[in-house]
Amino acid sequence: MQLAVNIAVLAAIYALIACGYVLIYRVSRVLSLAHGELMMLGAYGLAATASLFAGNPLVAIAASAVLALAVGFLVYGLLMWRMTGESVLAAVLATIALGILLRGAMILAFGTQTQYPLQQLGWANASIAIGGARISGAGLVLVAGTALVYGALFLFLHASRWGIRMRAAGQNPLLAAQRGIRLHGVYALAWGLATFTGGMAGMLIACDAGIEATLVTIGLKAFPAALVGGLDSLLGALVGAWIVAGAEVLIIQYVDPLLSDVVPFFVLLAMLVIRPWGLFGTCEELDRV
Amino acid sequence: MSTPRASGYFRTRYEHDQALLDTRAQKAWLAAFCIALAAFPFVAGAFALDLANQVLLMSIGAIALMLLTGYAGQISLGHAGLLAAGAFTTGILFKEAGASFWVTLPSSAAVGALIGLVFGLPSLRLRGLYLAMSTLALHFLVVQAGQEYETRRGHSTGVLIDPPSLGGWVMNDPRAWYFVLLAASIATLLFSLNLLRGRTGRAWRAIHGREAVAAALGIDVRAAKLSAFVVSCTLTAVAGCLFAYYRGFVSAEAFSLFVAIQYVAAIIIGGIGSILGAVLGTVFVVLFPYGIEALMSALGLSERLSSVVFAVNYAAFGLVMILFLVFEPQGLVGIWRRVQAWFLLWPFKQKPVGK
Amino acid sequence: MSEALLQLEKVEVAYHRVITAVQGVSLHVPKGSIVALLGTNGAGKTTTLRAISGFIGLDDARVTDGAISFRGERIENRAPHEVTARGIALVPERSKVFENLTVQENIEAVVQKDRAAGARHSDAAWEYFPALARLRRRDAGYLSGGERQMLAIGAALACGPELLLVDELSQGLAPLIVRDLLQRLQEIRKDLGMTVLLVEQNAALALEAADHAYVMENGRIVLDGDPQRLLAHQDVQEFYLGTGAGSRDGMRRNYRDVKQYRRSRRWYG
Repeated sequence: MQLAVNIAVLAAIYALIACGYVLIYRVSRVLSLAHGELMMLGAYGLAATASLFAGNPLVAIAASAVLALAVGFLVYGLLMWRMTGESVLAAVLATIALGILLRGAMILAFGTQTQYPLQQLGWANASIAIGGARISGAGLVLVAGTALVYGALFLFLHASRWGIRMRAAGQNPLLAAQRGIRLHGVYALAWGLATFTGGMAGMLIACDAGIEATLVTIGLKAFPAALVGGLDSLLGALVGAWIVAGAEVLIIQYVDPLLSDVVPFFVLLAMLVIRPWGLFGTCEELDRV
Repeated sequence: MSTPRASGYFRTRYEHDQALLDTRAQKAWLAAFCIALAAFPFVAGAFALDLANQVLLMSIGAIALMLLTGYAGQISLGHAGLLAAGAFTTGILFKEAGASFWVTLPSSAAVGALIGLVFGLPSLRLRGLYLAMSTLALHFLVVQAGQEYETRRGHSTGVLIDPPSLGGWVMNDPRAWYFVLLAASIATLLFSLNLLRGRTGRAWRAIHGREAVAAALGIDVRAAKLSAFVVSCTLTAVAGCLFAYYRGFVSAEAFSLFVAIQYVAAIIIGGIGSILGAVLGTVFVVLFPYGIEALMSALGLSERLSSVVFAVNYAAFGLVMILFLVFEPQGLVGIWRRVQAWFLLWPFKQKPVGK
Repeated sequence: MSEALLQLEKVEVAYHRVITAVQGVSLHVPKGSIVALLGTNGAGKTTTLRAISGFIGLDDARVTDGAISFRGERIENRAPHEVTARGIALVPERSKVFENLTVQENIEAVVQKDRAAGARHSDAAWEYFPALARLRRRDAGYLSGGERQMLAIGAALACGPELLLVDELSQGLAPLIVRDLLQRLQEIRKDLGMTVLLVEQNAALALEAADHAYVMENGRIVLDGDPQRLLAHQDVQEFYLGTGAGSRDGMRRNYRDVKQYRRSRRWYG
């Protein structure tokens, strides 16, 4: 039972991060490898607003959420819009370079010590018992939050006008422009939402375990989850997250705990060999260099 | 094959067209450059010598990556994994079997070729982004394997290696290393240039352009892709072996993702699609951290930021990469060519059609 | 001449700054009329249309000379969504629908400049193409050619435009369906006062539906006038309708050879 709980929490983490990868890829066909660093930025953002609004934890949380959204828009507005239309390699490298820049900047701004935003918020991370297993308060919020986020995203993309326009822009940017859809606006929105969900994941993980350098590797490990499900399918991201999380937890438990960092990449390789476009992804011609 | 020069110089024979060096001026410049290279270790200080050695060492890997990604168009983000493979082969053979340089070098090359084959297999099915991801995944696996060896054998801080000995003469003098690395670098350069001018190079350029058309022209696309991977990875593994000997020390942390990104940055900043770009990019990437350090001490910040100097490096490196990607996609070679063109053409500058 | 909704004056379009695809084209599209732009492949019709709708920047092309005016306002070299916002909608030649969205979503994805009138414009799409209403939930990728074209026109209508640019309406469609679509366009013109610029290779059908026609060749306008007059014009019959007196050896020659052809006809009768 404890295993199931662990898998659920890890899957929630991966799913929340993976939906950021999927959102950006689906809408603008760019793979953002800066997501791990943006996650960490979100976590640091929470620490910053927590100390800024000490005594008002709810305000701090709301502020950091808005901040995460704004950072996403900024990243698109300052850098990524220039990469629209460039080759895939150039756009991916731009995100990698952005990640490196952010990592250096975060160390300079916030130092290298572990921070605990939860303490700064003034809350405690209670350990809750569920049917014989234990789950931390932050873990529970993670699982619930991920479910909420996915529900909201599904609703948005399929039932609202702007969601439909985002999907349209992802499929056929030229036609979308002809129908009056402002591509830059749609892409900025995708980046904003992706950074918001990633930042949310970062904040919750930080509440659970503190902000450390390993936060970024979690971001990178979530990428196989997105790819396994299909880089342009949200449902796929959810399923992929469960598969990768399950594999990781089970292998840690039964085989070798040191392999935890490479299991997602084994799964990634296996998927690339069997079915490169993932379980639910659209079978695009892989000829996008 | 160099670009045609300004008017007044015409080629009249095929040999002239195919020659690596055209004009007397080019040959004169090259001769002067060679003399400078040969004299360098005798006039430079120890620090500059070490820098030069680093540049030469990295240039082998960078040229190899340029062959793979710049010419054959197969994106590889896992280059550091190949360096690790070469280095660890050397380390393992030395520690377990006390093997000499004459054994470890060919073995590294062989291991590199084998792993190159494995890295190359996904390229038969995948392209672009997905290929990059597979190389990334393989990189992690190779480095993890090296890590496993370290922990299992108790060398948690790394494997120590004695400097190579050639019949009694131990090579631990930086000057000796300079000439060895220079020879290796020049050999790689000439080998690559030759390869590119021949059938293999033309096949690579064809598959980079359009695979379907290349196949229609009778080029074996699979063989071309695999050969690109194998050649590139063998060269890199050899570079890894030399790296292990030069540092005297092999550890898995030295082959992080950042190292792979540095190599990719070197070829992008240098300019994709030219060997000169690989060399220029290498020089830039190796000298960059030292440049930042010098800048920081000039600005008087070195005291305050001494504990986080690597973070400054990171941030500056990311920024410079972004600047190059956005503003100068053709890299340093692009800048170099534009400067050349400006000087060559300025009396005859024309405005293009339209406004 | 009635007031022009769209006016092109000596427009020149160049690709990559060196290849001039359209040279000195002047068009006058009056409000509420259907104007046909005819010509063979490579004449420059699609380039002209793209220059109007703002999409030539994608192919590294620019309007290098002349002016394109819509309702008196200059619109050359503007971004596509700006052009759409001013009331011009394009029905493209290829990739005309969002394949993975349903018919309903295709219409809903359109951005209307006027929220209040927006519902009315979307309804126009359903009204003129009742077949679409039956296919609301179907993915656009699974529609037949004729249904796709209807959806494309319907989505363009949903933008609420004043000018409709239609690129190669007849491509890949059976002639009866094309005739039907042209009739709908005429109805739309009558009911909504829509202006239509029709780029077509099927000269016969286009000339039946249009009020005025231009013929392009090699980037220039070579003929223009009333469709009835053009239908009777011997060169149009020869080169675009294939119904002329017939060339000597049964091969339809290119308009480019016209001087030599006319000379040979004079000599050989």
